[in-house]
Amino acid sequence: MAGQQLALTVLMGLVLVGVAALLTRIEDWRRYTALAGGAVAVGEESGYGHREKPSGVIRWLTTVDHKDIGILYGVFALISLAVGGLMVMVMRFELLTPASDVISPQLYNAFLTSHGITMLFLFGTPIIAAFGNYFIPLLIGADDMAFPRINAIAFWLLPPGALLIWGGFLIPGIAPSQTSWTMYTPLSVEQAHLGADLMLLGLHLTGVSATMGAINFIVTIFTERGEDVNWANLDIFSWTMLTQSGIILFAFPLLGSAIVMLLLDRNLGTLFYAVGEGGGTILWQHLFWFFGHPEVYILVLPPMGLVSYILPRFAGRKLFGFKFVVYSTLAIGVLSFGVWAHHMFSTGIDPRLRASFMAVSLAIAVPSAVKTFNWITTMWNGRIKLAAPMLFCIGFVSNFIIGGVTGVFLASIPVDLVLHDTYYVVGHFHYIIMGAIAFAVFAGIYYWFPIFTGKMYQRTLAKWHFWLSMIGTNVTFFAMLLLGYMEMPRRYASYEFDPAVAPLDAITLLHQAATVGAVILLIGQIIFVWNVVQSWLEAPTLTDEDPWDLKNDGLFTREFGWNADRLALPDGGEEEAMADGGEAEADQ
Amino acid sequence: MSEQVDAAGGYRRASPWPVFVALGFALSELGIFVGLYPVAVGGLLLLAGSVAGILRESDYATDVWRPLAGLGVAFAVLGIAVVGTQVDPTTLDVLAVVSDPGGIVGRGLAIAGAGVILLVVGLVGYLLE
Ligand code: HEM
Ligand SMILES: [Cu+2]
Repeated sequence: MAGQQLALTVLMGLVLVGVAALLTRIEDWRRYTALAGGAVAVGEESGYGHREKPSGVIRWLTTVDHKDIGILYGVFALISLAVGGLMVMVMRFELLTPASDVISPQLYNAFLTSHGITMLFLFGTPIIAAFGNYFIPLLIGADDMAFPRINAIAFWLLPPGALLIWGGFLIPGIAPSQTSWTMYTPLSVEQAHLGADLMLLGLHLTGVSATMGAINFIVTIFTERGEDVNWANLDIFSWTMLTQSGIILFAFPLLGSAIVMLLLDRNLGTLFYAVGEGGGTILWQHLFWFFGHPEVYILVLPPMGLVSYILPRFAGRKLFGFKFVVYSTLAIGVLSFGVWAHHMFSTGIDPRLRASFMAVSLAIAVPSAVKTFNWITTMWNGRIKLAAPMLFCIGFVSNFIIGGVTGVFLASIPVDLVLHDTYYVVGHFHYIIMGAIAFAVFAGIYYWFPIFTGKMYQRTLAKWHFWLSMIGTNVTFFAMLLLGYMEMPRRYASYEFDPAVAPLDAITLLHQAATVGAVILLIGQIIFVWNVVQSWLEAPTLTDEDPWDLKNDGLFTREFGWNADRLALPDGGEEEAMADGGEAEADQ
Repeated sequence: MSEQVDAAGGYRRASPWPVFVALGFALSELGIFVGLYPVAVGGLLLLAGSVAGILRESDYATDVWRPLAGLGVAFAVLGIAVVGTQVDPTTLDVLAVVSDPGGIVGRGLAIAGAGVILLVVGLVGYLLE
């Protein structure tokens, strides 16, 4: 033990010395370039002297530019999507047969836990921050985010967080967490795996990151708007980001505290969630879902904003009932804090409380439906152009309807008591998270691909991506809804039920359908990756400043205006060529 | 803050500190909760150092020494408070807990230790400059 501590001490000392050495080098470079312009001491970076951005890896490590940070968030989130997706593919193959013959139940549980946490906290929240960082300043006419350095800190908390969350798999000799993403006590207190502690710490870091990001978005939208942007003409995506950030501000710190209490229970002998003590085990569920339900709206509101923003541009008309979309966003923001106990209907809480949570849960479907009707009416009699972003928007609306309606059923206590903890719930939220949220993300990536890369994606491949995703999603998750009706419990690694009590053949068949759907989804996503990478590297540079033909319909927007300015620059609009809006660079 | 203009009159687009603030935060948390004391101390030093650096860089502080010393005091107080929770209130026998540090006391001592180091570094730097 003493030797180990000594080794650790030496290691930490070396890390600190290394950091100090690195910093003096970077600081040196900065001092010369920032002041001297032409007379640069460090040769190779001279070209960036006036830009104040070093080259290569150091540029990405030190950037505080909102567009760079947006790209970093995006790349990080897509890597997480791949990791979480591959984990779940292994699980789906395990479920092809009733027996547990591909991986052990322990590994299944670990993948299940990690898949959920990865998708929600390492893919969902960061990919939204990616769009927010890149576009909010452009959309509201700001030079950058209000706090560029805090913005960078918020991003850089994510990679250590991810390493900790995956730590149980990465570090040999320790078992990964098997608590499921909900981390219910007493299981999560009693599970001795070090992997669970690491995961909780990682989760805490991502929560701190999300909170910092949210503060930044709120301040930016309130104080950094350009002169011609006011509350009346603020775009819909910024509205949803603002609301989402507000929800984050109330939800994530609470999760952070609940996690710290759990860590203390696990490591330092406190009894916050102990059976029969103080709060008892149910306290965790209240705290977790007080965060957890708002979290689902944290994840869905900005994608709704993306769809509300993108869909009208391919329908040739303005968003129908803009004001009501904003009001319903705000309404959801408030109501989302009043429904958490619909996740706890079967825990034996007071029936009067239960009924009131049922009422609010049914009520929250109203603003969601308002939005849905607005999207449909926007398309009604419009001149629809079925480009890839539009296909994904329509897919969003369609999947969101199924996901939302199944949610309304679950919100009704008698129905929930039957369907709780079955695959029906899994089908419900995947229709929304995969079928809607991920679809909106893809719509955004395709729609703004010309801005991110200066290139155009390959349209045929994008359509393949859409149709495979749409079919895969519906095959997989509709099969899950049906499995739920057969009361197939969720979170099971194997399902060798007695055929006398369960229709085992039908259940097996539906599981196999879900796996086939997942394979279709996977093929679609491989095409997506290929399309993005190859188009980015090899497509011809796009010179059209209005690739979506928005000017004709009067739907041209600020961020494409900014892109047009960039293209108009003499040196061909390299990304490096200018600061936002072009003014900052001009006065040097 | 987006209005900051540096000496050369351009907008700052790069800063070396955020990565290290994040890393320092992650390491301190890991060290303190898992009970890896050297990691805790090192992480806190890295965190405080880069927070001081970022404050200096963005002109919220005129030098790095005062923020360092200030954070040192804060950590020291926090660490002592953590240790204090384990002292028997009837005997106030501090030595008994400190000479045989268990889980909580060890963590408190690590935090306080990092604080003392920072305070010393801050004071020395301030006096020498
Ligand atoms: C139309 C409004 C919605 C209603 C009324 C609703 C209702 C419900 C209910 C009652 C449950 C609990 C089911 C159970 O465990 O027995 C549930 C679970 C869930 N919902 Fe929804 N929902 C809605 C929208 C959403 C949205 C927009 C998302 C995602 C962004 C979402 C994500 C989830 C998740 C992740 C779970 C499962 C949590 C878990 O136990 O792991 N829901 N929903
Ligand atoms: Cu909910």
